[in-house]
Amino acid sequence: MSFMEENLDYYAQSNALRDVNCYLKLALGLGAIFICIASPAPLAPLFIVITLSAITLVVAKIPVRVYVELLHIPVIFAFFSVIVILFLSGSGDTILTFTVANVPLTITTGSANLASLVLVRTFGGMCGLFFIALTTPMIEIFSVMHKLHFPPVMVDLSMLIYHFIFVFIAETIAIHNAQTIRHGYTSLKRSINSMAMLGAMLFIRGWKEAEDLIIAMDSRCYDGKLALPGQQNPPKPAAIASIAVYLGLCIAVAIMTSTIVPFR
Amino acid sequence: MTNLLEFDNIHYAYPSCPESLSGVTFSIKKGAKVALVGPNGAGKTTLMLMCNGVLEPSKGRVLLDGEPLRYDSRSLREVRKKVGMVFQNSDTQLFAPTVYQDVAFGPLNLGMEPDEIEKVVSRALLEVGLAGFEKRPPHQLSGGEKKRAAIAGTLAMDPEVLVFDEPTSSLDPAGAADLMELLDELHAKGATIIISTHDVELAYLWADQIILVNKGTVIHAGTPEEVFTDPALVTSSNLRMPAVLEVYTELVSRQMVEKTQSPKSVLQLVSSLEQSSGKPKAYRAPGTITVCNVDTTGAEEIKAWVADNPGHKHGAMGTRAKDLAERESIALDFTYGVIDKGILRALVGECSVLLTPASMVPHVFRRVETYCRESGNSIAVVPMNTKTQSPAPGAMTKRGPTE
Repeated sequence: MSFMEENLDYYAQSNALRDVNCYLKLALGLGAIFICIASPAPLAPLFIVITLSAITLVVAKIPVRVYVELLHIPVIFAFFSVIVILFLSGSGDTILTFTVANVPLTITTGSANLASLVLVRTFGGMCGLFFIALTTPMIEIFSVMHKLHFPPVMVDLSMLIYHFIFVFIAETIAIHNAQTIRHGYTSLKRSINSMAMLGAMLFIRGWKEAEDLIIAMDSRCYDGKLALPGQQNPPKPAAIASIAVYLGLCIAVAIMTSTIVPFR
Repeated sequence: MTNLLEFDNIHYAYPSCPESLSGVTFSIKKGAKVALVGPNGAGKTTLMLMCNGVLEPSKGRVLLDGEPLRYDSRSLREVRKKVGMVFQNSDTQLFAPTVYQDVAFGPLNLGMEPDEIEKVVSRALLEVGLAGFEKRPPHQLSGGEKKRAAIAGTLAMDPEVLVFDEPTSSLDPAGAADLMELLDELHAKGATIIISTHDVELAYLWADQIILVNKGTVIHAGTPEEVFTDPALVTSSNLRMPAVLEVYTELVSRQMVEKTQSPKSVLQLVSSLEQSSGKPKAYRAPGTITVCNVDTTGAEEIKAWVADNPGHKHGAMGTRAKDLAERESIALDFTYGVIDKGILRALVGECSVLLTPASMVPHVFRRVETYCRESGNSIAVVPMNTKTQSPAPGAMTKRGPTE
């Protein structure tokens, strides 16, 4: 599969939860993120990481490979930040101390607890975000924006931007291929040169596309109306109930484990 | 018939460029099938953009229904409601996030009510054979589907004139044949259709008026026969003769066929060959052509009929018929030029069944009848069932004897 087919949008359009009412999906994802952030102890976010990943992989049927590929980038970032947090002076007993180039570094139970909390919170938050990104197509988010009375200009602009993302991807692939077959990326110097040309060309083509778009819109009597709320499947009672139960469970876990910390 | 669209001595130059149109004059009648033919850079696209007032000529007038176009925004709205435009690159036309929203764009901006929009959109999508694609994002469609979605977006505004810039240029041969059938279907429903192309085969076979443009002027406007049988015209505008005509010219110069009317299709070429080859033909009873209206006949009935009548060749016109054939796993023998293929088969004694949409049923009867009258052969066209109505008796002259 090429990038054109295999991107977030493709899975958002084709996953098993595609036709579930999008307010429910947003409630689940945003609810999980909120609980992750609010939880004072790391067990609840960890619970969310495991269960929400299971929901994304098993219920929405997103391939494991895609999910891991998506998650590993933010998690690596989180991991590096966590290392820094580990060595910030915290309260509590010292777990480990050593010296690097005459700088004493100390890990305390306080900093270790904070680090683990930050790690699972980030992880859990990303799981919530990717759950939304992988199950809810942008178009439904547009209709939610429309219903929530976001300014029409903003909704219309987002829709056109969304359209142009794919125009840009297609143009980039075409130009990149044309450059690659003529050895445009064989050395660092050439790569930089080619990349610059690609950027410049994208700008010009984007401009041209936009002009063509205006003609196409005018030809169909454009009168300032673009956003049209899409139809939503009504939420099924069973779905509402299961999401309520799940979020309730997460909150219960958060409350019950609020005093449990990994390092004492 | 009145002139629907008229170009009166049009001049146009893009900013800081030499004139790309210099004195273009021609007119298009209501209900015509017009092909603007010319080499690259002849000014075809510029001309097309004048049809709905996107470009304003620097000199000369464009007349729609006898009224000169005015370029204020309110008049332009009226013009663009009447003249629908389908662009060469479907991607620029499909900008909404879903097919439904895209097709609804025109009606929405015309101020229709939501339930009316819904009706109009589903009708337009059904017409182009994309029912069920409402929620799909346009960037996930294939080239042919994108083109159809773009056409649906234009049809939803119910235009009188449909203008297509290079409609088949990005489609595979089967997709192109499908699209031309769709154009025929729209024409049968009363639309005036203008296409620009440099595909001579397509222009020759499909159009009934050719406007030959080169270097910003109209070189000739007339019937396809006039334009393409004149070698001087053809070569001076960087085109070539359609293959059928080329073969025919060679045959005439070798006195293998008599020079009569230029053949439009393989069918006509074959029949003039048969007529002039002196050999006595082994007499064979011609086959029949059965017509089935897929819009009113149930899939079950068609499948049963096909099973009951083995030995028939199967042909399908239009997306709905082809979809039905695929769903019911009916193997198709002809998917383009279906009526001609049916007649050719009938001439060698084979029977065929043609699955067509409702609007094309009378066309099948007319086409075969015209052929019979011209060639002296008699081929029977049989409706598959009572739901496939043959045209009213008054509308048709004598048909060939039925079985």
